[in-house]
Amino acid sequence: MPLDRESWLYRTGRRLALTAAVLMGVGLACAPLQNRVWGEVKSFQPEMNLRDLEDALGQGVIIGLLGGFRTLVADFVYLRASYYWEKSDRPNTEALLALTTSIDPRPLYFWLNAARIISYDIPVWRVRERGDFEDVPQAYKDHIYQEQVDRAMGLLDRAQSFHPDNMQIPLEKARIYYDKVKDYENAAKYYHQVTQMPDAPYYAARIYANALDNLGRSREAYEFLRELYPTLPPSEEVPQASREVVLERIREFENDLDMPLIERFPPQSIELAAPDPVNLTPFSTTGEGTSASED
Amino acid sequence: MNGSSFARLLLIARNTFLEAVRQKFFNVLVVLSIAMIASANFFRQFDFGSSELKFIADFGMGAVLLFGSILSVVVTAQLFFSEIENRTALTMLAKPVHRWEFITGKFLGVFLVLMAFVSLMLFLLAAVLYWRESNLMTYPRYADDFANGRIVNYTGILQLVFSELFKFGLLAAVTLFIASFSNTNLYTVIISFFVMIICQLQYIARDSWSDLDNPILRGIVWMLSLLFPNLQMFNVGEQLVFPTEQVTLSMGGYIGLLGYGAIYIAVLLGLSAYTFRRREI
Repeated sequence: MPLDRESWLYRTGRRLALTAAVLMGVGLACAPLQNRVWGEVKSFQPEMNLRDLEDALGQGVIIGLLGGFRTLVADFVYLRASYYWEKSDRPNTEALLALTTSIDPRPLYFWLNAARIISYDIPVWRVRERGDFEDVPQAYKDHIYQEQVDRAMGLLDRAQSFHPDNMQIPLEKARIYYDKVKDYENAAKYYHQVTQMPDAPYYAARIYANALDNLGRSREAYEFLRELYPTLPPSEEVPQASREVVLERIREFENDLDMPLIERFPPQSIELAAPDPVNLTPFSTTGEGTSASED
Repeated sequence: MNGSSFARLLLIARNTFLEAVRQKFFNVLVVLSIAMIASANFFRQFDFGSSELKFIADFGMGAVLLFGSILSVVVTAQLFFSEIENRTALTMLAKPVHRWEFITGKFLGVFLVLMAFVSLMLFLLAAVLYWRESNLMTYPRYADDFANGRIVNYTGILQLVFSELFKFGLLAAVTLFIASFSNTNLYTVIISFFVMIICQLQYIARDSWSDLDNPILRGIVWMLSLLFPNLQMFNVGEQLVFPTEQVTLSMGGYIGLLGYGAIYIAVLLGLSAYTFRRREI
């Protein structure tokens, strides 16, 4: 049967074949360019676990996510979580925070704020569920605090799988251990980890020394600060480095440890230049100056 | 292209642009987008600290993406079919106007609309971010966060204008291609949104075809990965606006991204002109 070149089928088929051929040709030709750019962009775009999300969001929102609107959907879910947080609604807050990080695990603040809410706010709500805050036994409070801190740590562990090199995550873990449950062992572990990372804030090293001191490892804290001090920039250039505070802390440790003069950190120029020099008398039991606690 | 052809293109583009900005739909979208970006200010009550800037930026970029995608698809389809339904296309094409000029002129008009939309929205977002960042920088408790100066890369927002523009341009070109053979506005809009979703997910086919064991399935997935452009590649807002050592997009990568968009736009326009060539109006 001869082929009718004017038939709809022939024309449509030819158009489709040509379109597919051209697009595939362009796809092939652009493959090196796509590989180059996608290679750079891909690592910041973790895949979504749709199986977890479908039940919670419904198919309409899933289509929105597939359409590339995950950032916006995550923001709205987070705002919803914040609404429940204001109402101290624990189940909804926790569920929506978990959902937010599942939808878009890229923004670090979702993880950090969620961890803070789980470890600082929710324990207080849970204690209040039992009655007046002051009347609830301390043992119960401690149990709740520890439970919530463990949940926050689980969340931050997941965050670390998406942001393995970001120092904010171990820093948040260290803060929570230090402030919420006074677990100085773990706090010291994570503060130390932070001090080894690029862009670590200066205060992390100071609190690491405090954590060691709280663990009774004052000598170790002292040695750490002695090594730290020469690496700090002058306070006139970087006030956050707080060189004077570190030096004061070193002197406090020397006094607390009753160190002989010969073993002490040599007097520094800022001490010698001070109008009221620091008392460097050996075996002194009272240190000059006060400890500026980073707490 | 001779001078008169260029003039005709500009004339069609200008009329398309004016027609678009006079549409209620466009104006409603602009107002909604402005409201959404400006409302980001209310997030202050959550007291995020410096992270608030990222949230505002994410929210603003999300608004641009959402309304920009709707605008690219709906306005392109509307402007194309209004010419056909009002019979103005017949009058125009009866004059010495080539069909490819009609298609390209339409696209340029829509591209101008998108450029106005994206520039306005991202300028507004930059202004909100600048104002809020200046406020946050005065708080001593955030001093560490701003120790190295501003966090937001405002040049990156300017770069983002072009990457977003090429993304929406690509989407408009896809819509124009579908409109060139479809009969109704609604069909064009629905299919274009489906194609947009496929393009957003193209990377899955692209990254996974080589792992498949079944050779037939492997071939199909490979062909699919070649048929559709990768729209996910254009989601570079964070890299451009909050670049860090780990999260950054090189200039080569950025230019490559724009080039990728430009190639696909040109090819889709060519295909639209080809398909529209013999269409009965």
